[in-house]
Amino acid sequence: MDAEAPRSQLVAALARVAAGDRAALRLVYQDTSAKLFGVCLRILNDRSEAEDVLQDVYVTVWRKAAAFDPGRASPITWLVAIARNRAIDRLRSSAVSRRMEPIEAADAVSDPSPGAVERVELAQQQRRLAGCLEELEARQAAAIRAAFLDGATYEELAARMSVPLGTMKSWIRRGLLKLRACLER
Amino acid sequence: MSEDDTIEPAGGASLVAAEYVLGVLGAQERREVERRLAQEPGFASEVALWEERLGGLADAVAPAAPPANAWSRIEATIAAPVERPASLWQSLAFWRGFGIASATLAAASIAALAYLGLAPGARAPLMATLGGGSGQPNFVAAVTASGNSLVVVPATLLTNDPRAIELWLIPAGESRPRSLGLIQPGQPIRLTIPPDLAGRTADATLAVSLEPPGGSPTGLPTGPVIASGKLTSL
Repeated sequence: MDAEAPRSQLVAALARVAAGDRAALRLVYQDTSAKLFGVCLRILNDRSEAEDVLQDVYVTVWRKAAAFDPGRASPITWLVAIARNRAIDRLRSSAVSRRMEPIEAADAVSDPSPGAVERVELAQQQRRLAGCLEELEARQAAAIRAAFLDGATYEELAARMSVPLGTMKSWIRRGLLKLRACLER
Repeated sequence: MSEDDTIEPAGGASLVAAEYVLGVLGAQERREVERRLAQEPGFASEVALWEERLGGLADAVAPAAPPANAWSRIEATIAAPVERPASLWQSLAFWRGFGIASATLAAASIAALAYLGLAPGARAPLMATLGGGSGQPNFVAAVTASGNSLVVVPATLLTNDPRAIELWLIPAGESRPRSLGLIQPGQPIRLTIPPDLAGRTADATLAVSLEPPGGSPTGLPTGPVIASGKLTSL
């Protein structure tokens, strides 16, 4: 199997979903649901909330597959973005218990063995992103990782890292601009 | 004065897009961003860029198997008739101003039948209307009586887009698209169906994608799929 196969299969399956093919949605689900459920679970920290959101995510994929543009986005990134947005919206609107444990700048990035799709697809992009994160101050990088993975607001991040709100905003905004500059080099 | 006020304004629109993608905004700010996403294509592109930039962070998330009944719940939801909403492509510049009247589609269908030399009422051929996800058909395709070729009639115009238009066939039950060749924006065209696919056109999906001049360099769609539909008997 060539290295691009999983990605192109996902692109093809999404094209069929756009045409109203339910079997193709099932293929997309089989290939990506463990990843997306992990993403929802991490943000919501509650299985039954995450299950509800996961359902919502694939119904959204069913309805919006025609909007997916393989020339602009990789399929797994597009799917993860839908899952994160749904989960964060749920988090903001619900009384789900907020994650409040402190964030340590030295927190190791957890490193589960990635699934086949993202391993192939993200490997290169991944290395660049990891390299650019390393150029940030450790606490900036830790705040950005925690924000992305947990869907935490500025206020929550400031509380978890015990810094004033303004400091947290500054860390993250400067960090994002530096990341962009680094990734575009 | 807090430190956050010292960020240069140049970061402005892109920073809000980045903050939205990162997930640090509150509910109210997120709704404001979503309103802009629907109305400002430039801002939507900025968000898409940030999704690509930061997407790799998700690799740190451990996959978790969803409960076994999760799929059946999804399947039950999509089995209900769903209003398929207007999608992004309606906002694509090249569709602008080319709204499809049903009369245009009817004309294209008749053109396809005429091209096939079939009178209405003859043995039902396999046909497909290829739509853009919002109920707008953009192409009509029909398999010829021999089953060896396919006639494609554009029911709309693609203008100002230098990209090639490539047609793909995905046999029922398969996921790999097979190229049938390039089609022209303004005229009907007859394409040969490769012999190994000729018997497998029933219920196959046809998809149209935009590709670099000369067609996809990889043998698989590389650009946006602008229309798709299923080949069924009339």
